Amino acid sequence: MNQRPRLAAALSLLALSACGDPSSSEAASGALQIAVVPKGTTHEFWKSVHAGAEAAARDLGVEVIWKGPIREDDRAEQIQIVENFVVRGVDGIVLMPMDRKALVTPAEEAGGQGIPVVVADSDLDWEGRTSFVATDNRRGGELAGEALAEMMGGEGSVILLRYQVGSASTYEREEGFLEAIGKAAGIEIISSNQYAGATNEGAYQASENLLNSFKDVDGIFCPNESAAFGMLRALQDSGRTDDVAFVGFDASDKLVEALRAGEIDALVLQDPVRMGELSVRACVAAVRGEAVDPRIDTGVVVVPSASIDDPSVQALLKPDLSILDE
Amino acid sequence: MEAEDPTTPGRSAAAARQVADILGPFLGLIVVVALFGAVAPEGFLSVFNAKTIATQTVIVGLAAIGATFIIRSGGIDLSVGSAIALASVVTALAMKAGLGEVPSALLGVLAGAAVGAVNGGLVTLLKLPPFIVTLGTLGAARGAAKWLADEQKVDAPSGGLKPFMSKNPDLSGLPGFIRENLPDWLVLAPGVWLMGLAALAAAFLLRRTVFGTWTTAIGSNEPTARLCGVPVERTKFAIYVFAGAMAGLAGVLQFGRLTVGDPTTAMGKELDVIAAVVIGGASLSGGTGTILGAMIGAFLMATLANGCNLSGVPNFVQEILVGAIIVSAVTLDGFRSRQRAS
Repeated sequence: MNQRPRLAAALSLLALSACGDPSSSEAASGALQIAVVPKGTTHEFWKSVHAGAEAAARDLGVEVIWKGPIREDDRAEQIQIVENFVVRGVDGIVLMPMDRKALVTPAEEAGGQGIPVVVADSDLDWEGRTSFVATDNRRGGELAGEALAEMMGGEGSVILLRYQVGSASTYEREEGFLEAIGKAAGIEIISSNQYAGATNEGAYQASENLLNSFKDVDGIFCPNESAAFGMLRALQDSGRTDDVAFVGFDASDKLVEALRAGEIDALVLQDPVRMGELSVRACVAAVRGEAVDPRIDTGVVVVPSASIDDPSVQALLKPDLSILDE
Repeated sequence: MEAEDPTTPGRSAAAARQVADILGPFLGLIVVVALFGAVAPEGFLSVFNAKTIATQTVIVGLAAIGATFIIRSGGIDLSVGSAIALASVVTALAMKAGLGEVPSALLGVLAGAAVGAVNGGLVTLLKLPPFIVTLGTLGAARGAAKWLADEQKVDAPSGGLKPFMSKNPDLSGLPGFIRENLPDWLVLAPGVWLMGLAALAAAFLLRRTVFGTWTTAIGSNEPTARLCGVPVERTKFAIYVFAGAMAGLAGVLQFGRLTVGDPTTAMGKELDVIAAVVIGGASLSGGTGTILGAMIGAFLMATLANGCNLSGVPNFVQEILVGAIIVSAVTLDGFRSRQRAS
């Protein structure tokens, strides 16, 4: 006898029991369903966004469906997730696209079905989006430039270690930084054409080379976490952390440790919790037919090492994620 | 020996067994659809969702057509995902260079075929096991894709390749009387039609041509096939090149779907492809496996992912389910081999 039909049926029963998620039955209660599609689900940053989204959902009495791709560079899977939410007929979608072009087609599809799409975190080349909710990266760069100029007393030489060719968010930060630091007449930019690359190791090497060629640098800015980490390691190796004013962007455990020790003088921090909250609020407002600002800033702050223990700073560094466990 | 050769006696018994072979995966698919229909929100059973699933099947489906030949010949191909990525990058680079849709698509298919040629060449010339050879090209083709793409995605005009994977294709190219009478459920993404046509052609190739008979003969019993005068090396090489070309075609459509050339795309897809073929009734020890079965297998995998998505199942459950399905399918393969042996 052929055993396959029986086993296939057993397999499908397994599928049924595993997929019978209780949250899907809540849909019947009539609350608005907002799908939130992050770039990934494992990083701390996305968990913070999730916590913010969930908080907004409780406050507004809507349901947030959180679903991101398993790998953070799997464009095909993110497209598929958005497509499936369109089929499911959610009331609104908050999308954090991992690619500004590749995600346009499914977003258009959602728009075509009358589902408002709020784009968050990174922008999408699509006019039809309801709103773009993100950090004002240029402003973040300006803040870093102003802070660095102040630390240096308005004079000295500065290095900008760029992140990577073609990365829009860090490019904005770099340009904002150059603009702000250019306003201080006594400050000379001695290098702004070197790139750290995507890996910590590449950033480390580029930093070592820069520090070797410019022995008399007074101030440094790195526009993202990995570039800042590479520079930090190179500064530590050469024992120059005290001689140089160093400003980084974003936080990781290592960077925060160095900030506390004074090896990094300031970090520019984004607010992912607020990003999650504001994007869900914007999406719900659009579903309810209210006016939505086409560009919503989620805020950046400069944290000098002296104010690391402020409650507001601690809330950014260690966001309260307990809402996700309830 | 799989009794599918029309010249062997007992043809009706063979046909009956073939029907039974297809019935299993088909029933599995129906049960999955029925269960999700009951559990998932109402959107699951809509025509629009069927089209969505069909579009999501295309990449794995096309690659599974080639993989059916390889697995039926007793081989295995782990480099499919990397070949898809390489082809998508090559297509994007060609589009970026302004070569136009058709030459770019051909170059993409050629890139896939080149990976297949390396696979086939190493398997036949150096007599290496296909598992090892394709494990090597899994890494090498992925590396080549990243190298060509300069370790980034390749932005390129997608031109006429984008509508290939659009669920609402532009019909203005069709004659008026067809356009007006075309029922909604037949308005599928052109890529789905392409997959269907490729499947039909491949089924014909497998069942009605000498090439197909040789493929089965090699997979059933390679020494015997050799004694019977089957050109084993040449046939194997051709099988790997063909499968590579199919993966290349999948890569071209992946470019159309993503609208960028992505060197990191389709990572791990080789397992989906193998799972599709095995769920469809192929044995990893060779000699069996049909195109229709592989198509059903691919559709089943896509339906499962879609259904889990729609009913709000977390990622990890979906990953566990796919793993369970692969193991179950191989278990079934074991059952079947023992039945055949007894």
